[in-house]
Amino acid sequence: MTVALATLCTAFLEAWSNRRGFWFQIGIMAANDVAWVIFWVLFFREVGTLKGWDTHKVLLLFAILTTVSGTGLGLLSNSRRLGELIAGGSLDAALALPTNPLTYLLTRRVDTALLGDLAFGPVLFLVAGDPTPERALIFVFGAICGTVVLVGFLVALGSVTLFAGGRGEQADLGFQAILIFASYPIDVFGGLTKLFLFTAVPAAFVTGLPTSLVSSFRWPVALAAVAAAAFFALMAVTTFRIGLRRYSSGALWTRA
Amino acid sequence: MLAISTTELSKEFTAGRGRDRRRVEAVRDITFTVERGERLAYIGPNGAGKSTSIKMLTGILHPTRGEATVLGLVPWTQRRELARRIGTLFGQRSQLWFELTTRQTLHLLARIYRLDAGDARRRTDELAQLLDATDLIDQPVRSLSLGQRMRCELAATVLHGPEVLFLDEPTIGLDLIAKQRFREMVVRLNEERGTTVFLTSHDVADIEHVADRVVVINHGTIIYDDQVGRMRRSLLQTKLLEVRFEEAPGAVEIDGVQVTHESDTVYGLVVDTRRVSVREVLDDLLDNYAIADISVVDPPLEQVISEIYEGRT
Amino acid sequence: MSALVAQVHLAARRTLRQPGELAVRVTFYAVILVIFSALWSAATKANGGSIAGYTAHSLLWYVAAAEGSVIATKPRMIETIGWDISSGAIVTEMLRPASVVGLRLAAELGEAVVRLVASLAVGGVIVWLYVGPPPSAAGIALFVPASLLAVGCNLAAQHAFAGAAFWLRDARSTWFLYQKLVFLLGGMLLPLEFLPTGLADVAKALPFAAMAYAPARLASGHVEPWLLLVQAAWLVALLACAGGVFRAGERRLEVVGG
Repeated sequence: MTVALATLCTAFLEAWSNRRGFWFQIGIMAANDVAWVIFWVLFFREVGTLKGWDTHKVLLLFAILTTVSGTGLGLLSNSRRLGELIAGGSLDAALALPTNPLTYLLTRRVDTALLGDLAFGPVLFLVAGDPTPERALIFVFGAICGTVVLVGFLVALGSVTLFAGGRGEQADLGFQAILIFASYPIDVFGGLTKLFLFTAVPAAFVTGLPTSLVSSFRWPVALAAVAAAAFFALMAVTTFRIGLRRYSSGALWTRA
Repeated sequence: MLAISTTELSKEFTAGRGRDRRRVEAVRDITFTVERGERLAYIGPNGAGKSTSIKMLTGILHPTRGEATVLGLVPWTQRRELARRIGTLFGQRSQLWFELTTRQTLHLLARIYRLDAGDARRRTDELAQLLDATDLIDQPVRSLSLGQRMRCELAATVLHGPEVLFLDEPTIGLDLIAKQRFREMVVRLNEERGTTVFLTSHDVADIEHVADRVVVINHGTIIYDDQVGRMRRSLLQTKLLEVRFEEAPGAVEIDGVQVTHESDTVYGLVVDTRRVSVREVLDDLLDNYAIADISVVDPPLEQVISEIYEGRT
Repeated sequence: MSALVAQVHLAARRTLRQPGELAVRVTFYAVILVIFSALWSAATKANGGSIAGYTAHSLLWYVAAAEGSVIATKPRMIETIGWDISSGAIVTEMLRPASVVGLRLAAELGEAVVRLVASLAVGGVIVWLYVGPPPSAAGIALFVPASLLAVGCNLAAQHAFAGAAFWLRDARSTWFLYQKLVFLLGGMLLPLEFLPTGLADVAKALPFAAMAYAPARLASGHVEPWLLLVQAAWLVALLACAGGVFRAGERRLEVVGG
């Protein structure tokens, strides 16, 4: 078992150690997701279809969203806290170990509540996504691409703390923004906003593209998804590495 | 091979915001060496540069200038390789997983340090014995007191058998007994395994009980570097005498001796050893008075250290 | 009574002194508003100009009003209150010669009013630019007190809800659930007219409707003044509930200990 996997398992073990709270939080999250499903069902019940989107497609979107959220924010929950962790000095503890500090930090904590999303997403897909073996495969592929983009984006934002100091608020804002935009059918947005969602806040790559892939697979789109994932992964790793060299050990120099 | 060697190690930071931005030198031209098996205390007041130094030596920070090697490796370029051979314990950061037991953390650490499973198990039990923690390592860390937790932290720090142990303010927040026990453990590790100990602290008692050598840093530079024993003797030319007379002696006047406190038959005296030797004072007292008890002590290390900080030596 | 009023003032001034935080919240409100405006505009257009009795015009004003009223309060407040209760921090407040929940509500009200005004101002501008002025002046006139009542009901309900923390340790993570109840049954995400008839009637009879649906319905041009009475009634009931829960909880703390 690689070190990263071992760390992730230990993190899961830690989340699991509070058994009652564990199931409670998962339950609450599942209830939360059900509420959203109800919203969309009611919406499309009245609206019918909207720019090629209907209940089926939007539930597909939601299944992708929850799976991506569950993996990127549930399993790798430190991805959105990276700035905070750096500012608080947790990076030092990671650097004291003979491992890749970024991998260690990302696998160091599992968020129980968001695991509820990870449980919900695939189930929603199986129930409402018209699952066939091919579609299931594409679903997994799409979810992985989306997760890589999300985690990469958040890590890059968080790494800015290595250069600029601060407490990581920029990562928090980025996280909220990308999640909001990724929750809605992208075709609803006008041209300029759509551009925004493919660039500054890459919500389109987190849910938009994966959803369209499951809906109707096209190779150029699949390649675009992979390219986006590769790009954000690279950006994250590079930003972090460069930042490490300029690291001032966040914790105030005055405490030296 | 030397355990640690530094040459003009320096680190600058940018501090302040906007118009107040300025370069601050946290550490400047640090040069010293540490032999294998030594126990060195690296002390200084808050803000002196201790943590910055230790972070450069462990590869966390890149220096602005200067060089350093630890076990022959350059910390900031060979961090991972070095991490396998050293152990670090930051007093205010825990590496134990809070909701799990220490043993579970050690299990993961064994994986991270690529220890053989059987080996790791054996070492865990050995360390638990050595550090008096056999009944602690199977309890969730969150249920341990700070003192107990620090012992478990130490176990986690040395599980992989490091050759050098870096301790950054490890006794902060511990009560007296816990501090004592912790220090004993560190000394034991050094004596039984030959682990080099590099300890930063601003608690002078850490020096007294752990270190055989002390390096004092203030305002980013080293201002003193010597063996602990010599430090005391060479720096303060005073000795303290606690004398219990058989009967109240009245005024005690000896050249070079000051009375610091008196109560009936018990007197505290300070001897200025530049003017008169302790031997002479003792002779004088024994000749002229009926003495029930005498003790001769060195001045407290605190005093010595603060005089070093203030540059009065 | 004057202590409460003073608390409201203090909290309001404190919020104004942190323009950065306020700006962030209002920005998020604006972003969500823009998204929903796009969503609803497209939806109504695709359905021949109206859905469930709402035109794009009235729907966008509905959304701005509903969201503004809800976003003025912090649903995470339930988590904070729950934390204060379960960690025992609330005990220090119990030592003061004033109602614990009363002072807290007053403080929250002060903050909420500032956020309400800021959000609605921004929201109003955005929607005006999108679809034009509000559909009915009378509606807006009624909306103003309705929005305040909505905020009051929301705050009171949050405190009653959070009071469960006096008894249950994990109560504080339920803020998520509360938020969804307001979103769906309160008519914040979509007007209650979207719910199937039976469910819609039930929802309109619940307190959540007072927190979003009532002010939004008025702002969207449907002049139904009895909504204000419903809100007022719920406000009284929820305040009594919150007060009761806290009193019972405090008594429990005194007996059982922290």
